[in-house]
Amino acid sequence: MAILINQKTKVLLQGITGKMGGLHTKYMLDYGVDLVAGISPGKGGTKVLTVPVYSTVPEALEHTAIDATMVLVPPYAVKESAIEAIESGIPLVVIISEFVPIHDTAYVKQLAIERGVKIVGPNTIGVISPGKTKVGIMPGSIYSPGPVGVVARSGTLTHDIGATLTEMGIGQTTCVGIGGDPIRGMDFIDVLKEFAADDETKVVVMVGEIGGTGEEMAAKYLETGYPKPAIAFIAGQTAPTGKRMGHAGAIISAGTGSSASKYAALAKAGVTITKTFTEMIAAVRKVLAAENKIAGKQQIAGV
Amino acid sequence: MKFMRLFEYEGREIFAKYGIKVTPAVLARSVEEALKAAETLGYPVVVKAQVLTGGRGKAGGVRIVANRAELIEHAGRILGLVIQGEKTESVLLSEKTEIAQELYVGATFDPQNGLPALMFSTSGGMDIEEVARTTPEKVLTMHLPPTQPVRGFRIVDFLRGSGLPADLLPKVAQVMQKLIEAFHGSDATTAEINPLVVTPQGEVVAVDAKVVIDDSSLARQGIVPRFEAGTPLETRARTKGLNYVQLEGNIAVLGSGAGLAMATMDLISHYGAKPACFLDTGGGISSEKMAEALRICLATPGVEAVLVNAFGGINNCEWMGRGIANVIDEDKPTAKILVKMRGHSQDEGWKLLEDRNIPIVKFGTTEEAVQKTVRLVNPNTRNCGACSGPQGKGA
Repeated sequence: MAILINQKTKVLLQGITGKMGGLHTKYMLDYGVDLVAGISPGKGGTKVLTVPVYSTVPEALEHTAIDATMVLVPPYAVKESAIEAIESGIPLVVIISEFVPIHDTAYVKQLAIERGVKIVGPNTIGVISPGKTKVGIMPGSIYSPGPVGVVARSGTLTHDIGATLTEMGIGQTTCVGIGGDPIRGMDFIDVLKEFAADDETKVVVMVGEIGGTGEEMAAKYLETGYPKPAIAFIAGQTAPTGKRMGHAGAIISAGTGSSASKYAALAKAGVTITKTFTEMIAAVRKVLAAENKIAGKQQIAGV
Repeated sequence: MKFMRLFEYEGREIFAKYGIKVTPAVLARSVEEALKAAETLGYPVVVKAQVLTGGRGKAGGVRIVANRAELIEHAGRILGLVIQGEKTESVLLSEKTEIAQELYVGATFDPQNGLPALMFSTSGGMDIEEVARTTPEKVLTMHLPPTQPVRGFRIVDFLRGSGLPADLLPKVAQVMQKLIEAFHGSDATTAEINPLVVTPQGEVVAVDAKVVIDDSSLARQGIVPRFEAGTPLETRARTKGLNYVQLEGNIAVLGSGAGLAMATMDLISHYGAKPACFLDTGGGISSEKMAEALRICLATPGVEAVLVNAFGGINNCEWMGRGIANVIDEDKPTAKILVKMRGHSQDEGWKLLEDRNIPIVKFGTTEEAVQKTVRLVNPNTRNCGACSGPQGKGA
């Protein structure tokens, strides 16, 4: 199954003729993504590798169905591109671009809610369902298919967790980078709900970081009874108080948003909390081993 | 994403532009300028330190002066006054306002739902965060979906339960409507008036301004970025678009993302060493930017080793590897460097490093890279189970 995207997902790339667009067109095709079209106003009728380019999303929709779009345009162009995708009825909009004005994100998020569209990002690596497809800029080779769902704020930490799990022989159903900005489309809660409904996902790994309220809100939701084991890791445990560590949200102030407060809230919600990757891997193995026993199956390879 | 705080006088300019009445005020950078300003305003005047940090009142940075002699004394004292580490470079002189009531109004984003929110309290002139913490019922919040027009009557309606008398409702609502317009129009993350003063004549006037602008919007707002006080290396990094925090340890962390760099720092502490700095390159890194990032890490006081922990996602390992290689070739650094790097164009990137005998963790974990780096600076380190030796390449 996987969540949000799978091998049948028809993907659009908005910003396909940019430097990054061209590069990632190749990476996506190499990964086997069904990249059906690209958008570049003024370059309609051309092609990037094998992918047809259209001037607008409505024009692309005259030629193909589209299930998800990846927005890879300059920061100040994101709002317009995202609105175009939302108003064209594309159900999943993944915004990769970094440095998007927060007012633009707030507008896009609200419009998407009103139109029933799912937004991932901005400032994200995107989404990958390993072995199936990806709508993102992650190197596909470091991820592998399997039973673990991963949701993380930090993009590179998503890579690192994916790569570490893969090294240990543990694959993933879907890895979702929800993005590092203080306002984002899907938050931990939304992704956790998707994983709850996915049969293939046996355990969820949640990777948070200091600052913001997303982890605490997720804890409140998990406390009401989550159908699967959840394991959490929070980055920034040793970050000095009040020092800016790069993400706007990642500022500890007055005890809220600290790793301690997040860990406490998650522990209270019954989540297994881990302080290092070794602990996290051990927790995943333990859950999968127990899962295996219940299922009465043979041991899952590599677990 | 980061934010830029504005000085009070800059915030007042924005408010005035959007039609919010502010008390007349003049900026002064010297006692002479202050005296000149006071002549036009007339005594008594309020002298306020222009600093970006809070708590200036408690620190003696605000004073009402009745005459020339007092102004010379206090303007002289406040100019140069250090408030929470920040030196006062200018003072704002403003007319003293008669106060019947002090209110609080603010606009910000609610992190729980991403919606712009207008806040109101009759407990103005106080530490509003403290008010919200101890008596949350005294701060009213109204959400305003940015896809909908802001209607004045809705704000009036919202204020009905606030305890304000009926004749003040439309006046305060009008200020709040202009405040949310200023908030959107100036790409602010916070726009606050504390206090918003009601005069005995029933006028509503802003006597302070706190505005914070979203860094990502500075270019379209035509605002030149201003870097807040930091170490020379922190300032150098910011001008290059790198997120860098100087710390007091021996291992520099250079990560291709904030989360990864923070997790790497956590693990360095876990394995008994201390991070010398945190550096996040962000996405879209060129070889030049990588070289500059590495040079800043190497220049960090106390650094004995640099751990580069990077992924070629939006970045590309060949570009990053070339940046590192250039620093090795040109600077011949003495500090040890270990690189964990994977992703797009990894083979090309690795080759550049292998040609220069830089230890690489290719497929291993961050934990393994951290353990190896800790061992590079302290060979007697505990718990190095997965290490194949400090010189081990291509683990």
